[in-house]
Amino acid sequence: MLFFFIFPIIHTLRLSFIDPEIGTFTLNNYVSFFSKEIFYDSFFRTLKLAFSVIFFSILLSFPLAYFICFVINKKYRTLALLLLVAPFWTSFTIRAFSWQLILSDKGVITWFISFFTNYEVKLNFLYSMKASIFGLSLFGIMLTTLLLFNSMITIDKRLIEANSDLGGNKFNEIKNIIFPLSLPGLIIGSVLTFIISIGDYAVPTLLGGGFKPVLAQLMLSTIKGTYDLNTAATMALVLVFVIIIACVPLLSLIKQIRFER
Amino acid sequence: MNNSKSILNNLLYILFFFIIFIIYLPIIVMIIFSFNSSKYQIMPFRDFTTEWYYRVINDTQYLEGLTNSLVVSFTVSLLATILAFFCAYSLVNSNFRGKSILNLFFLTPLVVPLILIGISLRFYLSAQGYEPSLYLVTIGQSIFVMPLAILNLSNRMSQIPKNLEEAAWSLGSSRIRSMFEIILPSCKFSLIATFILTFTFAFDEFIIAYFLNNFSITLPIKIWTSLVTGFDPAINAVGTLVFLTSLTLGLTAQLLFMKK
Repeated sequence: MLFFFIFPIIHTLRLSFIDPEIGTFTLNNYVSFFSKEIFYDSFFRTLKLAFSVIFFSILLSFPLAYFICFVINKKYRTLALLLLVAPFWTSFTIRAFSWQLILSDKGVITWFISFFTNYEVKLNFLYSMKASIFGLSLFGIMLTTLLLFNSMITIDKRLIEANSDLGGNKFNEIKNIIFPLSLPGLIIGSVLTFIISIGDYAVPTLLGGGFKPVLAQLMLSTIKGTYDLNTAATMALVLVFVIIIACVPLLSLIKQIRFER
Repeated sequence: MNNSKSILNNLLYILFFFIIFIIYLPIIVMIIFSFNSSKYQIMPFRDFTTEWYYRVINDTQYLEGLTNSLVVSFTVSLLATILAFFCAYSLVNSNFRGKSILNLFFLTPLVVPLILIGISLRFYLSAQGYEPSLYLVTIGQSIFVMPLAILNLSNRMSQIPKNLEEAAWSLGSSRIRSMFEIILPSCKFSLIATFILTFTFAFDEFIIAYFLNNFSITLPIKIWTSLVTGFDPAINAVGTLVFLTSLTLGLTAQLLFMKK
């Protein structure tokens, strides 16, 4: 692990500080990264994408996890979870591509609409930021729901009974019991979703299109195109810094990660 | 009060089935299109055909990708499961200062995007003079599945009562022997499940393979290239096959985890 995981990252770190022409130490790569509009734009585009994805996945996975944990009949709980997770065993790329078929201007949705209403519609959805957010949110929802469920299932049912015995309503129950106690799952889920969203390449390419690239796309085209390793390394390191910041909320949870018996 | 509660519950039911519908929609569409005889992937549906499946089975590139993918993912999951078994054993059984740091260290690859693992390994190893190849892909993918394997196995191991092993030690068994005769058998199902899980992850992994590979393709890379460079309707057939295989494997893993 040390050899194949830590060393490569340190090596990349070093590359990002080296001047491509002379080979000496420099901060120029970072300066030019933040001064060039294309990098600057894609950096903020990436952040915007990731935050929107988190927003939607929290918004939808909280009710979903609540549903699977408390509303649904216990017998069907595992089935519901499996149903939710199974599609994500298919390859990421194929699913993204299938969404192309559905969402494109000659896709399944427009066909359906025109079939039933005789209207020709244009969705203008595919190859936009919206489509990337959509594609990644679906993945985020699955992940966050799963982790939230894991936290929610450990909540002591007596707390909920106590709440209703003492006259508290549903809103109190969610605000005072379920939300605070499932917070660890929510945090881990969001951080992982964030990290996957800022680093993903396939969904932004297939659904988002290439005109407004995110960092991962830019990184790849830099490597495959100009083979400018130092610039690519700089982009990689910018991502690493963002991730380190994103992991800060996890620190509060460290104590819960234990391997003991 | 009761009324508002049932309205809420009904809304939640609707939400759940709506989300399920959305996430299954692309798969259903893919399966339908895989039997569509039209060359262009637009509605309406033409005739029913199994031509695409024949074509996939007879396409040497798909077959080459499949073989490479199978070999690589098999090696990756075998390697990761064995290594993770020992890592998990020592993590569960030892207690020393700085252990929590070590724990974190083993889990960090989980929070690093795959593209970063791929890129930095490529930079590093090519600076050391290694050419990109399937061997490098194996290494890269092992790193990415290791945390999952360790988490799964240590989860199971922490449920084995410690006094079983202590009994063995007091009866004069060596540490290694007790590990193989007590821990290994009781982790049997978890080991198989971990193997299958890491296999499916490695099999689907695209971006690490893309970076660490030169000429020999894996199945996800083949799928990717045929998506990006002009369209090949056989993709839907490939996708359907991959989905069915992963579904079977995933369900098996899930059942094994539950069996303990």
